[in-house]
Amino acid sequence: MTLQPLERTDEDRPAPAWCHAEVLVNRPLTERYHHLRLAAPDVAAAARAGQFVMLTAGRDGSGPVLPRPMAVYTRDAAAGVVDVLYAVVGQGTRALAGFAPGERMVVVGPLGRGFAIHPETDRVLVVGRGIGTCSLTCVAQDLAPGPVELHAVTSGRDPGSVIGAEVFREHGAASVRAVHDTDGSSDVAVLRARLCGELDGGPPQQILTCGSERLARLCAELGERWGASVQVSVEAHMACGLGYCHGCSTGGPTGPEESPLVCRDGPVFWLSLP
Amino acid sequence: MSGPGVTAPARPVDLSVRLGDLELANPVMPASGCFGPELAELVPVHRLGAVVTKTVFAQARPGNRAHRLGESAHGMLNSVGIPSRGVHGFARTDLPAYQRLGAPVIVSVGGLSEGEYWRVTEELAGTEHAAIEVNVSCPNLERGGVTLGSDVGAVRRVVAGVVARTDVPVLVKLSPDLATIDAAARAAQEAGAAAVTVCNSFPGLAVAPETRRATLGNGTGGLSGPAIKPLALRLVWQAAQAVTIPVVGCGGIATAHDVAEFLVAGASAVQIGTATFARPFVMTEIVRELPALAARLGVTRLTDLVGTLSF
Repeated sequence: MTLQPLERTDEDRPAPAWCHAEVLVNRPLTERYHHLRLAAPDVAAAARAGQFVMLTAGRDGSGPVLPRPMAVYTRDAAAGVVDVLYAVVGQGTRALAGFAPGERMVVVGPLGRGFAIHPETDRVLVVGRGIGTCSLTCVAQDLAPGPVELHAVTSGRDPGSVIGAEVFREHGAASVRAVHDTDGSSDVAVLRARLCGELDGGPPQQILTCGSERLARLCAELGERWGASVQVSVEAHMACGLGYCHGCSTGGPTGPEESPLVCRDGPVFWLSLP
Repeated sequence: MSGPGVTAPARPVDLSVRLGDLELANPVMPASGCFGPELAELVPVHRLGAVVTKTVFAQARPGNRAHRLGESAHGMLNSVGIPSRGVHGFARTDLPAYQRLGAPVIVSVGGLSEGEYWRVTEELAGTEHAAIEVNVSCPNLERGGVTLGSDVGAVRRVVAGVVARTDVPVLVKLSPDLATIDAAARAAQEAGAAAVTVCNSFPGLAVAPETRRATLGNGTGGLSGPAIKPLALRLVWQAAQAVTIPVVGCGGIATAHDVAEFLVAGASAVQIGTATFARPFVMTEIVRELPALAARLGVTRLTDLVGTLSF
């Protein structure tokens, strides 16, 4: 599969800022994921669907030296809050889980260039897996209350790893399929058959995906079948989030030019089969 | 009443510093590679003593393959591989963006051979910049990829050639990959350097035993961050004993107190890299905090701290 940067204008990327955001909520949401709510009015007002923030988990000269990029799960401009979900998997996310409500965290954002919904699109399919679904939920926020019809697939290892279904439903998704490995409903062949059966008659013009290479491949195949364009949000280790450190290159050197950077040129890219 | 921590500074503290003919309003600048004009989106970088560009090579380079970043205890490991547009692309696209930042611009110059450093310097001759910093931590492809800076003779020849081809002060960013820093620092001074920067990231390796692979795409990388601060402090102290030109300290600096440690150890100015990632405002915050710190340490000129270490 190949990644291509989207055609962008400066308007796609609101100016980022840093702040000492107050932690409002930081607690387990499901068996696997924690919910972090931050008071970050500028990010809440500006963040586009698919953009991310850098969260500094280190404090007082200890803890991780690098901030962690996290998708904006949902944002509420009126309340000035940003929601982030994360799985506690390593040193950085363990440190994040140690923040108590009332404490302040260094937050930089919004960063990157998010999903682009074209004006002529009237039906969108989003396909997320695990924590990757967090990149797609703001799309539902933006599309509500229509007229674009949203179909959502959220996949995970087990029921506790499936997130976002309630956000998609709350924002009027035409269909929400919560699937997981435990009952086999997330199997790619099963999913392909279901999606073809349900959407072949009225396919989406755009497919957006994040969180799984297998599902990204399925999306690319469905895109060819339906003549739909596919955008994928990818993740990478990052340091600066702005583009100057060049740490988050998408791949290997293919010529004298550097491959696109996830933070500067993405995290959302066009996805196509080779 | 007076005493430590009680009085406000009675006189304004002088933060200015000279590196040869290069005069800086304060001693704080970014470390090459850990800075770009993009940071101006977040912080007022014109308040820095200087800005330092990513290292420029003669030809365009794509950089290393992913993954380029990793984290270790109190440090980060990178194998970014210094992507560059090449000196022509740099002069056309990157340099104007640095010039617009409003701080003196130090251009970091690299090369994969001794002659490449000289060619890049020649190409820069017509452009506006305050100083050059020679990054001698590049692999020397004429010597099987060994770090050029680990060869004192090569350091001397490269620096002399750069000095001969430019009118601006030349800093030399030394590699820590040396048996002793003294000889390299002296070679840089004898070749006409205005200052030496001590030091670059330390060569390191991260291993994933499950896959039997190095976690960085390039295999090895450079270790930076608080983990290397005591190593860098010692090298700064050693280099400062070895030369009469100023030393620019670099390695794990994250607070104004860290800056003071490097000044006492012998640095006249400092570079900050890794700390900026987690706290983008760290450099400008340090500039703001330095006067109060100087007052607390009982000096009215920051340079009065330089090299005051005793055992």
